[in-house]
Amino acid sequence: MKRALAGLRPWLLQRLTALYMLVFIIYLLAHFLLDPPHSHAVWRGWILAPVTSIAAAAFLGALFLHAWVGVRDVILDYVHPVGFRVVALAVLGSGLMAMAAWAVRILLIARL
Amino acid sequence: MKLSVYRFDPDKDSKPYMQDYDVALQPEQRMLLDVLELVKARDDTLTYRRSCREGVCGSDAMNINGQNGLACVTPVASLPAHVVLRPLPGLPVIRDLVVDMTAFFKQYHSIKPYLVNDDPAPERERLQSPEERQKLDGLYECILCGCCTTQCPSFWWNPDRFVGPAGLLQAYRFIIDSRDDATQERLEDLNDTYRLFRCRTIMNCTEVCPKGLAPSRAIEKIRLLITKESL
Repeated sequence: MKRALAGLRPWLLQRLTALYMLVFIIYLLAHFLLDPPHSHAVWRGWILAPVTSIAAAAFLGALFLHAWVGVRDVILDYVHPVGFRVVALAVLGSGLMAMAAWAVRILLIARL
Repeated sequence: MKLSVYRFDPDKDSKPYMQDYDVALQPEQRMLLDVLELVKARDDTLTYRRSCREGVCGSDAMNINGQNGLACVTPVASLPAHVVLRPLPGLPVIRDLVVDMTAFFKQYHSIKPYLVNDDPAPERERLQSPEERQKLDGLYECILCGCCTTQCPSFWWNPDRFVGPAGLLQAYRFIIDSRDDATQERLEDLNDTYRLFRCRTIMNCTEVCPKGLAPSRAIEKIRLLITKESL
């Protein structure tokens, strides 16, 4: 396709991130139901294990990407004047990036 | 039956208003259009479109108690005692229940609603196998009444850029037609943030289609085809 993924990319991204988040949440629920951590140290050990922390970081990444596509869609639907739209998208993008940076900081501090 | 009808004559009225009519139903008034005809006989200023009166032309599409439908195939028995009639939402009102469908047909024409095939025409016709023909069932029956598209919030917000359910149903009808050679171009044309992907899968379209068609399913199939093509 010439205009490869023009309208498809965000749509696909929204669905793939939703799917990943669903799987991760099911895993999280199953873990806490079947093998609940009985102390803070056990919980810390579990969340800081490489596989879990990578999966959690990927979950947060998926969450921010999913939120970007979803709210961007709302802005495209409702905010028509170009100026307002650019400002709304910029506020959304920078807000999500700030939250992502904050999440990364929390994960990194936890590892120290 | 009490009818509350949206009235607006741009030559006389500064703004629209609702007018109530009390109608004593007779056994011969079986469909909502029959009731409207009765009211029209009493008040000939009431304006609406109608033609075939049997759900084929799609002229008398209107908003009936909040849901789009064809007056001619809406049985009176299925309606409550108080019926509120408004023009199709999302399109400019010309007068009373008559709307300007230019935006709707512009989107319809944009999907090239005809077979594109540059091969020399055969002596009689371009043949299809029964299986190929079967793929058009549930698509070709669309009468372009506009009920689905004007019930779609995505079309309300972007009528100039989103093709809308009726146009996309027709687009799929030609994409899937074995005699059409422009499948690739059609998919490329629709792979756009607005033309196809404004669809939020709200499914009002499928809910209200008076012909029982499923534009949301056709839209889903176009998305899957575009996904497959991009891989």
